[in-house]
Amino acid sequence: MIEVTALKKKFKLTKDHKKNKIDEVDPREDKDFFHSVKNVSFSCAKGEVLGLLGPNGAGKTTTLRMISTALKPDDGSITIAGNDIIKKPLIGRKSIGFLSGSTGLYGRLTVKENIEYFAKLHGMSKQAIKARCEELFTLLDMHKFIDKRAENLSTGMKQKANIARAVVHHPDVVILDEPTTGLDIMTTQTVINFIKGLKAQGTPVIFSTHHLDEVALLCDRVAVINEGVSCFDGTLAEFKQAGNSEELNQAFMNILTEKQDV
Amino acid sequence: MFEVFKKELTELLRDKKTLLFVVVFPIVVFPLLFSVVAFISSQAALDAEQKVNTYAIINGDFAPEFTDKVFYHKSFELYKGDKTFNSVEELKAGVTAGDIDMGIYLPSDAVKTLDDKKQSEWQVVFNDSKSINFLFERVKELAKEYSDTLQESKLLSFGIDKSAQESILKPINVVKVDTADKRENLGEKVGGFLPYLLIPLVLMGATYPAIDLGAGEKERGTLETLLLTPITRTELVLGKFITLLTTSIASTTITVISMGCWIALALAFADLEFIKAAFSTLGISDLLMIFVLLLPIAAIFSALALAISIYARSFKEAQNYMTPLSMVVFFPIIISIMPNMELTAKTAFIPVTNVALAIKEIIKGTVDYTLVGLIFLATALIAGALLAFCVKWFNREDVLFR
Repeated sequence: MIEVTALKKKFKLTKDHKKNKIDEVDPREDKDFFHSVKNVSFSCAKGEVLGLLGPNGAGKTTTLRMISTALKPDDGSITIAGNDIIKKPLIGRKSIGFLSGSTGLYGRLTVKENIEYFAKLHGMSKQAIKARCEELFTLLDMHKFIDKRAENLSTGMKQKANIARAVVHHPDVVILDEPTTGLDIMTTQTVINFIKGLKAQGTPVIFSTHHLDEVALLCDRVAVINEGVSCFDGTLAEFKQAGNSEELNQAFMNILTEKQDV
Repeated sequence: MFEVFKKELTELLRDKKTLLFVVVFPIVVFPLLFSVVAFISSQAALDAEQKVNTYAIINGDFAPEFTDKVFYHKSFELYKGDKTFNSVEELKAGVTAGDIDMGIYLPSDAVKTLDDKKQSEWQVVFNDSKSINFLFERVKELAKEYSDTLQESKLLSFGIDKSAQESILKPINVVKVDTADKRENLGEKVGGFLPYLLIPLVLMGATYPAIDLGAGEKERGTLETLLLTPITRTELVLGKFITLLTTSIASTTITVISMGCWIALALAFADLEFIKAAFSTLGISDLLMIFVLLLPIAAIFSALALAISIYARSFKEAQNYMTPLSMVVFFPIIISIMPNMELTAKTAFIPVTNVALAIKEIIKGTVDYTLVGLIFLATALIAGALLAFCVKWFNREDVLFR
């Protein structure tokens, strides 16, 4: 179970940013800071898949980076199985598997070396690494290219390797930041199958996406963020109800418009 | 930390560009470059030495002995062209036009002035902008020989014999008694040059890999995944830092060994007494001491390069930041070769300059071991402080996620 409560995060505006500012009125910007996340809360229980939705720049990536411990929140709390991971980030890192569309692999290492490296950093024993790698290579059908250097892989192969890298240490929670962006249908299907597999194992999954068909296919819960503030957190059925539409795209638009009107 | 170090080193060794900078350049390119520079400069000096220069002389008849000396000198050939030269201005025009390499102007009373108890002024017209030029020195030498002859005969005519002439013309003869031995003299010459070679090599061995380890990670999108593993930032920085320290020292060691081999090879085929003498004075303990002093310098450069690299958004931005760093490093080395700069308790605290001065002293064989200890301590302290800064830098979100 992961619980995110009243998260806040602001970034100091650089001189360049102030100088090159295009929007005159940005509600999240004051004199010196950009309030990327102002108040975000949601939860995801065991075996649930939570879809994190929001327009570009809503604060999704910042929120996920805070959950993954890459960024430290200014306020709020994040707990995984009762552990406060803001106070104990090392515990958080052991519990989380993180994958985004932009995360890369070490090009001059082979796929196997990449995955083994991250397993070692997670403190896994040699035997455990061997067994886990074998399990993942079979699960993701990777045997053909595990000895290839990552720089020579196709996009699909890279994403499979990235998935294996993200979950090699048996994380308690998996976070996926737009994992299907830029992928072809076949690779997207691999990611979808992977999420389904995690769900079946009972691993909570939080994933941000712009593809609402994926939400319909995978998610039990939906959280919507707009301009750094949570504007919805509930089940998929509640999402449709709150958005007054059976169509997810329409429901999403309605929720955003309603919040803006308020 | 060890896992990070092992992985970074594996990746670097598989990178062709790193191998080029750390291994191929030191083994092949640098020695080749130095050999080419040495060959070209020695060839230029030889050419200047052997060149026969065309000259014209005005009023040569008034100093026939001198005129003959110039005429029969192997480096000079009298101009045989159609042009005539009657004034200094015409000689200048001849040199500028390339008709002659040198013009000598003697006044019409070239020798007679002596009888009038006056000094005669002779002019040598030539282009002095060439860095290697023996013209003026040769003519001056011939004129001095002639001048000495005139002086001698004049004094003899006054009834002053040869032995008395020497005591009158040079009543005091100052003789230099040099306490510096051969090693000290050679060390002064070579010792100033060695830090110029070694210290930038230490820097180069750290900067290129640093770009890959910091900005490269950001650009490839691997930094974020690395930051999400349960290792502390201190372990992460130390892993990367030790990798850079290794490449920096390895690159320097490879270069020095490679240059040593090349020099040994050159000595086996050519009789280069000066170089042989210079290098025979260095013992293993001297080389070890130089190596030990380069360690904290390598640590300073590694920490600096890593901090710069992790701040940069991309590979290109990191490269832009590293260029001024190279220039900054040369400045303290230049200070070390300034006149009267010596290794003292004060200069032992100036980073880089202190090591450059110590290397010079080690080669001269006059190093004060207490000061070497002080330098090692001071440099290690700076390196430690920079490393601590690097760890702090790696904890800053505005640096990692710019």
